[in-house]
Amino acid sequence: MKTDALIEMLARGAGPAPRAVAARRLALAAGLGLLLSALLALTLIGPIPTTMYATPVPWMKFAYAGSLALAAGWLTARLARPIARLETPRRSVVAVIGAMVALGTLALIATPSSERMTALLGHSWLSCPWNVLAFSLPALAASLWAVRGMAPTRPHAAGFAAGLFAGTVGAMGYALSCPEQSAAFVAVWYTLGIGLTGALGALLGPRVLRW
Amino acid sequence: MPLDTIQDDFESGLKPLWMRAQSGDDTAYAQALHRIAHRLRGYFRRRMHSQPDDVEDLVQETLLALHVQRGTYDPTLPVSAWVLAIARHKLVDLWRRRGRRDNLHDALDDVDEALLVAMPNDGSAQRDLDKLLHELPAAQRQAILLTKVEGLSVAEASQRTGASESAIKVQVHRGLKRLALLVKVGGAA
Repeated sequence: MKTDALIEMLARGAGPAPRAVAARRLALAAGLGLLLSALLALTLIGPIPTTMYATPVPWMKFAYAGSLALAAGWLTARLARPIARLETPRRSVVAVIGAMVALGTLALIATPSSERMTALLGHSWLSCPWNVLAFSLPALAASLWAVRGMAPTRPHAAGFAAGLFAGTVGAMGYALSCPEQSAAFVAVWYTLGIGLTGALGALLGPRVLRW
Repeated sequence: MPLDTIQDDFESGLKPLWMRAQSGDDTAYAQALHRIAHRLRGYFRRRMHSQPDDVEDLVQETLLALHVQRGTYDPTLPVSAWVLAIARHKLVDLWRRRGRRDNLHDALDDVDEALLVAMPNDGSAQRDLDKLLHELPAAQRQAILLTKVEGLSVAEASQRTGASESAIKVQVHRGLKRLALLVKVGGAA
């Protein structure tokens, strides 16, 4: 086939370009990932007591993971395009993490100094980041699939952003099972788990984001 | 700067056509793709001295990628930058598949576009897309042949095959997407 014939073929009946491609694909990935991660957390670890939902503790986790999901999803959507402006979404990711760290620091300052270490480490600091990472894996696979179907030209960065996005989804699922109460705990160990998922995404990016 | 002038000419000629194409004007889309193909031919020819036979194949591969990814174009950015980002990605991808790592050290962007003089080319590629079309799953192939080659409307194709209109659209899109993967120059196939 000659190039002119190819062009005629592509243009014939092409119609309008699809809209909001990134938003649709990433929303689907987040939905699937959240479902699986919630299922894993509830069956493998079990739910937190329902009385906890009367306290701000789980809602703080959902709010943090949710707002970071929006910021990281925005960054991922931009990096799934061949060229994009990245400053604003990148700043939003940093701003959300910064706000959580500030909140955690304030919570620590408000805690009597003798209890600070307990608040910061809780009883699950060692397992929390790994659980977030593990419960993020379905969302990570789905997000990388979503980005792969678009046109990323920076596979490390796109993989990292997709990993952060997936990490926030896993964190949301894990929050259903995590009894830790301190904002400082969330600021450190949840963020670390989300960061680990981002690192895994960055590692996988060049391998899987080929098109 | 003659370089800027030429790039701006390309952009200013392309952008209005492209925006009409994005909102569904097929004639404008074909015109835009012809301009882009011409530009790509020059872009690749300058960077592929050692593989001149691959130029037209890479032009076609890039056009297919542009088409299946047209939803990733952000109207606040120049079309030419979006096109060249995809072209550059395809070129680097080709070099990587060929193991031509040394080529990666060539400056990709420091080429004076003003020196690009299009050589005559009848647009013949080495790889034949018609043959690749036949490697697609039957439903995708049929949807593409009916709507894209015979020129039926989606409604007519739907009547002819008994599939719903949205199914036809999905098959066309999936088929072209798969075709875009199949055409990789010098790929595993």
